[in-house]
Amino acid sequence: MDGLIMQILEGAFALPVILYTTVGIFLGITVGAIPGLSGDMAIALLLPLTYKVSPAAALGMLMGIYKGSMFGGSISAISFGVPGTPAAAATVEDGYPAKLGGHPKQAMLTALYSSVTGDLISTLLLVFVAVPMAKAALHFGPVEFFALYVFALMMISLLVVGEMKKGIAAAAIGLFIGTIGMDPMMGSIRLTFGISSLRGGIPLIPLLVGVFAVSELMIQFGKECSARSEKRVAEDAAKAAELTDYDPTKDRMSLKIYWSTFKATLIGSGMGTFIGALPGAGSSLAAYMSYGLARKMSRRPEEFGKGTLEGVAAPEAGNSATAGASLIPLFAFGIPGSATAALFGAALIMQGINPGPMMIEENKVIIYTLFVIIIYATFINLFLSYGLIPLYAKLARIKACYLVPTVFALALLGTFASRNSLFDVWVLLAAGVLGIYLRKNEFPLGPLVLGFIVGPGAEKALRQALLMGRGEWTFLLKSPIALSFYALCILSLLLIHFSVKKKLVEED
Amino acid sequence: MMTQKKALLVAAVLLMAFSFGTIAEGAEFPKAKQIRMVVPYGAGGGVDISTRILATHAQDILGQRIDVVCMPAAGGQEGINFVLQQPRDGYTLLVTDYGPLVTTALTEEVNYDLTDWVPLVQITEVVPTFFVLSESPLKDVADWVKTAKDKPESLTVAHGRHLSVPHLPLILFEKTAGLKNTHVPTTGGSEALAFVLGKKVDVGASVPSTIASTVKAGTVRPLAVCSLERVATLPETPTMKELGYDVVLPAWYTVFAPKGVPEETLRVLEEKFIEALNSDGAKEMAAKSNVLLTPYGRDKTAGLYEGTISSLKTILSDVTK
Repeated sequence: MDGLIMQILEGAFALPVILYTTVGIFLGITVGAIPGLSGDMAIALLLPLTYKVSPAAALGMLMGIYKGSMFGGSISAISFGVPGTPAAAATVEDGYPAKLGGHPKQAMLTALYSSVTGDLISTLLLVFVAVPMAKAALHFGPVEFFALYVFALMMISLLVVGEMKKGIAAAAIGLFIGTIGMDPMMGSIRLTFGISSLRGGIPLIPLLVGVFAVSELMIQFGKECSARSEKRVAEDAAKAAELTDYDPTKDRMSLKIYWSTFKATLIGSGMGTFIGALPGAGSSLAAYMSYGLARKMSRRPEEFGKGTLEGVAAPEAGNSATAGASLIPLFAFGIPGSATAALFGAALIMQGINPGPMMIEENKVIIYTLFVIIIYATFINLFLSYGLIPLYAKLARIKACYLVPTVFALALLGTFASRNSLFDVWVLLAAGVLGIYLRKNEFPLGPLVLGFIVGPGAEKALRQALLMGRGEWTFLLKSPIALSFYALCILSLLLIHFSVKKKLVEED
Repeated sequence: MMTQKKALLVAAVLLMAFSFGTIAEGAEFPKAKQIRMVVPYGAGGGVDISTRILATHAQDILGQRIDVVCMPAAGGQEGINFVLQQPRDGYTLLVTDYGPLVTTALTEEVNYDLTDWVPLVQITEVVPTFFVLSESPLKDVADWVKTAKDKPESLTVAHGRHLSVPHLPLILFEKTAGLKNTHVPTTGGSEALAFVLGKKVDVGASVPSTIASTVKAGTVRPLAVCSLERVATLPETPTMKELGYDVVLPAWYTVFAPKGVPEETLRVLEEKFIEALNSDGAKEMAAKSNVLLTPYGRDKTAGLYEGTISSLKTILSDVTK
């Protein structure tokens, strides 16, 4: 036994392994921070390299990229209001207002600490209770997934900051965009108007980067260029002056702040681990659901959307908690829970390790070595990111006339590179125009993305369930898990109904 | 005098440089530029991994860099069209299974004809496999056939996407055995496996690599494979053919050149690719990645390509009816 432990520690703390892991985390933070480039892409690109190094080093690096990118995405979300990765879209809701409110450092450090906390919690769960958790996840069939997605759509009502009807309209637009392309069951082509590039559907990354990033960049650029909006320029100058006057003493991070967001962090960690362990749900959904739930359970829900740090902590813990959790079904049954887990599975297979129930038994040393690496990678991520934050925070103070074209070029490049597709670039630009329209008319963007993510999944689950239930709709209610989700939905509807009524009474 | 000599020398050097340039331009294949192998799937998938095994070892043998380019957009059609748009010089090749290339061409409108492609070298073959949970009352294919015949459509079968590599043999099997099941399309083998493990469906259809570890652990029982011979990773599992059902529909991962590439170039590519796939390095890398290399040359590959097209036409004519 002692020999085994020594072997594991020796493997995990070998210098090359630590170096590869650190390089992976650095790469992850960087690609995460660049809109359009995502951790998945970096992992896919580096996959062939993993043939050439030892399993521990290869897996450490890939895991590092995932962890790094989960935090990295929040850097651009907070600094420019442009999510670096799909998973960080929810972080924009409060991260960007927090930065504008003069607290970029607090927001970033909150994001970092809750990221690391969420990651650590889900990693420990992966190490210690992977098998029972995966067994529980297997109870999620189409019936349960459909109920979960219905609940997720209900969450939209919790996300909306401004007018409820605008939020619902935005979600409907997202749902609609999600129906374009091949239908998930019979492969019939919908709403492509004969454009063959649309048959695969609208891709997520270009849509997301377009709606969030391109629109924001174009608006900022428009302000910069337009001579007519002198008033705006003056406003911006005032804002810029504010930022140059930026008072670091008022922006100190403290343990007190960490504790004040701890509840949100825990909500995010729980939600992220849960969603992450479900095959196919994904980190963006986890982030949004964490945000919605944290807002609902917060003592000050009215602060959400205005730059509260709780609104940064919840989605960041949520998306990072999927890192460990998405490996749970992979390790227990060989079922990858996300695109990243699938890539990670491919890397394991290339190393001659078959993910699945026999994996740990057959590869004790390497798997436990990997567990140790995953845990210490969390701390490397913490220190490395801590060191990099001052650097990245400075980025936010670069003049818009330099920053906007640079970020724009990176977004174009990243979008093209993710699938080598020029069509995706057009989607990006079109989504940018849509984003400008929505922003100008004060439609919230979060519900749109959530609708787009949830729609196709919900449709697939519903149709699978109906096939299994031989077309009987009552089949949808024959699962206690599903029933409890529906009960939660009804409960939140009632809560919203009464809170709206109360508000109306108060206004009268 | 000296300067004149120098000038001459410079001129000579320049001339030589230019002439090297021209040699490079019309150089023997593959000296001119790097080779691109386009994969109509995302990175990390089965086709991508197999392609990288070939590319890694073929570039040393060919003496030219090979880039693997993943172009999954529009269900793979973007990658396929990209290859068709490039000059037909053998520097841009396509590596795919029959899904995006053949099935799509037979069910939808595409920009090419199936005769526009020259199958060059087969890298590997994946075999559709039917499986159940170990505790399932269906012990073997005979049980499956009996239950499905007694109560048509009472059994649910989860396969990958509609008309995907595991779905077509299912249709063929039902046709051959004269039975009907309820088909549940999923996003792929892992979802099908999850549904079987979670007892959401009765039977799953996928490929051996998806279920290998659960089979080893004894939680999943493979019923049959749809190839001519048994699969090395599942030696106990009978083929459908052995059981008396003519369901042989393995999916090849094959390198294609667009029609019009010079014969000499095709010959070089075929020879070097086969050499690369037979190298020890490739074999070792393939064994690590659970890929069983089947390096077939042009003659055999062309036959398999034709064969797949005609079986697919038969199966699909029933489905689309």
